[in-house]
Amino acid sequence: MIWIVGWIRLALGTCKGMGGLIGKLTVLCFAGTYGLALASDLVRFVVRWNSRWYATVGLTLLGWIVQTAYLANTGFHDATTLVTTPFWSLLILSWILGAIDLYLLVRSPRTASSGLFLMPMVLGIIFAASWGAKRTEWVGGLGRSSPAVEFWGTTHGLLLMAGSVFTCLAFVAGLMYLVQSNRLKHKRPPRFGIALPSLEQSERLNRGAIVIAFPLLTAGLLIGVILNIVLNRAQGVTIGWTDPKVISTMAMWVVFAVLLHARYRPEMRGRRIMLLSVLAFLFLAFSLFGLEILHIPSAHGGAKATGGVS
Amino acid sequence: MKLLALGTDHRHAPADVREAIAFDGSRREEALDALSAEFPAAEVAILSTCNRVEIYAAGSEEAVPSTGALIDALARFHKVPAERFERHLFDYHDDRAIAHLFRVAASLESLVLGEGQIIGQVKEAYSAAVDRKTIGSILHAVFRHALFVGKKVRSETGLDQGKLSIASVAVDVARDVFDTFVDKTVLVIGAGKMADLTLQHLADLRPGRVIVTNRTPERAEIAAKKWGGQVYAFDRLGEALAEADVVVSTTAASEPIVNAETYKRVQRKRRNRLALILDIAIPRDFDPKIGDIDNVMLYHVDDLQAQTEANRARRAKKVDPALAIIETETAECLANLRHKQQAGDILRQLGDYADAARVREMEALFNRCPDLNESQRNAIAHTLHRLQNQFLHHPRAALRSAAADPPNEHPHPLLNAVRRLFGLSES
Repeated sequence: MIWIVGWIRLALGTCKGMGGLIGKLTVLCFAGTYGLALASDLVRFVVRWNSRWYATVGLTLLGWIVQTAYLANTGFHDATTLVTTPFWSLLILSWILGAIDLYLLVRSPRTASSGLFLMPMVLGIIFAASWGAKRTEWVGGLGRSSPAVEFWGTTHGLLLMAGSVFTCLAFVAGLMYLVQSNRLKHKRPPRFGIALPSLEQSERLNRGAIVIAFPLLTAGLLIGVILNIVLNRAQGVTIGWTDPKVISTMAMWVVFAVLLHARYRPEMRGRRIMLLSVLAFLFLAFSLFGLEILHIPSAHGGAKATGGVS
Repeated sequence: MKLLALGTDHRHAPADVREAIAFDGSRREEALDALSAEFPAAEVAILSTCNRVEIYAAGSEEAVPSTGALIDALARFHKVPAERFERHLFDYHDDRAIAHLFRVAASLESLVLGEGQIIGQVKEAYSAAVDRKTIGSILHAVFRHALFVGKKVRSETGLDQGKLSIASVAVDVARDVFDTFVDKTVLVIGAGKMADLTLQHLADLRPGRVIVTNRTPERAEIAAKKWGGQVYAFDRLGEALAEADVVVSTTAASEPIVNAETYKRVQRKRRNRLALILDIAIPRDFDPKIGDIDNVMLYHVDDLQAQTEANRARRAKKVDPALAIIETETAECLANLRHKQQAGDILRQLGDYADAARVREMEALFNRCPDLNESQRNAIAHTLHRLQNQFLHHPRAALRSAAADPPNEHPHPLLNAVRRLFGLSES
């Protein structure tokens, strides 16, 4: 309802031209549109409408265009780079996942239900960005004077962002595998016109996402560790090894290492790998926005930037 | 306007009666020609499948034959006494005939509810009538609408969702487990009828390799030859299981031939890859505990049977929503037909009215000018004819356009306007 009122106000507002319209976009605009896209997808549980797929694709596309306009406009006005703040990082992550959701919607059969798994995640990340994430820099107070530090800091952020995207995909593939596997184990027929990918397909997607995510996360973390050491030597400030964000990110990396190892251990195949993918995502979620939501202090974008700096 | 549907199906007649009056192959075309010759003013179409034989006739009140006349024609064509099949026939008229064809196209009248073949058969009936030119504006509209309704019912209710045979459910399960089959090995244990039927369905998935094993090697050889597979001696069952991704087991063994411990060892050899076991045998060939092993999907014939029953029940629940769609579409189809017929009547009346006025005035002119020669008279007649056509061009075009529109109001306001403007009757 708030979303509809927001749109009406926007449409009837005194905005001058397209620039003014884009300037009035809020997170609620695209989050609401994504919400409607999810609702349209969920309609399949109640009725069979041919137009459902078109509505879902149309609303997802609209939401994604609005989000793109919002990110472009805000980034231009605030001169913000992609991964400078927790708020921005989460919005960019949700934007990439939104694009993947749209791609899968269009490419897969119309009964496919990847959107039922991806869209709640997109909405969850947007919600976390708006509700808990700080709009100040990830490493506010730690200093980033030299262009080299700036460059490697951004590279560190981008690599972790890319790793996060694939972690999310591994999680979604894992969830779809677990749901499908559970259905088949219990001999239940497919319902509500939902078509999940075959176990083999989900396994392949999960494996591909893990194989790509691991080197990205490793490189991102390594750069972060080296930056931390360099900043410590140059300015005497650092993020402590016991910082909750560092611990949760390292835990996620360890889970990924186990996942990669498990690929070569036949007895680990199937459900266990999928459960580990879910665990990896939980660590990612905790590291990205869990700290802020739970008000756990961290020197690296946590609820209170005062904690953890040694 | 009158419509008649006369026929019989699996519910009304035994197979021998249906066979006696069926129109197989070119017999349908011959029958269409014969009926068209006997009832030249009527539109005719014939739907003939293994479960039903139906004749549709449409036209004006006088043009459409009576049920009795059509039965006689049917008896004459098949050279079968009418008494043999008459009591097995049903006949529907007007809106009930339309609704019946819609139910048939939606497969509500089929032996297997929601089956997909019937819509193709209705399309064939329509095409055959179009080819033999035995179909006119009424049956054109009704058959095209029936094809639309058939698709609409399926897409909006999901009446065709969920397989109804054990073998096809097994194939669906295989598709839920595996993405591609070109790199998969299918093992068939036993070589009976059920194995043959399941393999027939699995062959659609184009598996990369088929292995057949049986206690009687000769029967395994026959099955392997038929499906392009390899034969493994029955004592190599463990080896065959380790190589197989999909197992179809149909032996007549009185006790399970594979227990959980054995299959755990097999899975270790298989490096715990995904496996699907379709145990079609009664009693079971595979210990049910095998289903608890990670990455192994074990389906017994009872599980597959339960799914077919559930699908059957789910389809039955879709009948009421399907009937609601058919009711709405029947009313719409009938309204469209009446609307088109009204527009056609007005066009005809308009033409007659203009012709009469032209001829009357032309004759009056010729009477007043008796000196006009033949060539001058022809020129005047031609000019008046062209003038009439030019005057009527736009009203006719507007009427045809209104006839093509779905009727939101009865009658269309344009039809009333033309009637009043030209003083045409209501008939």
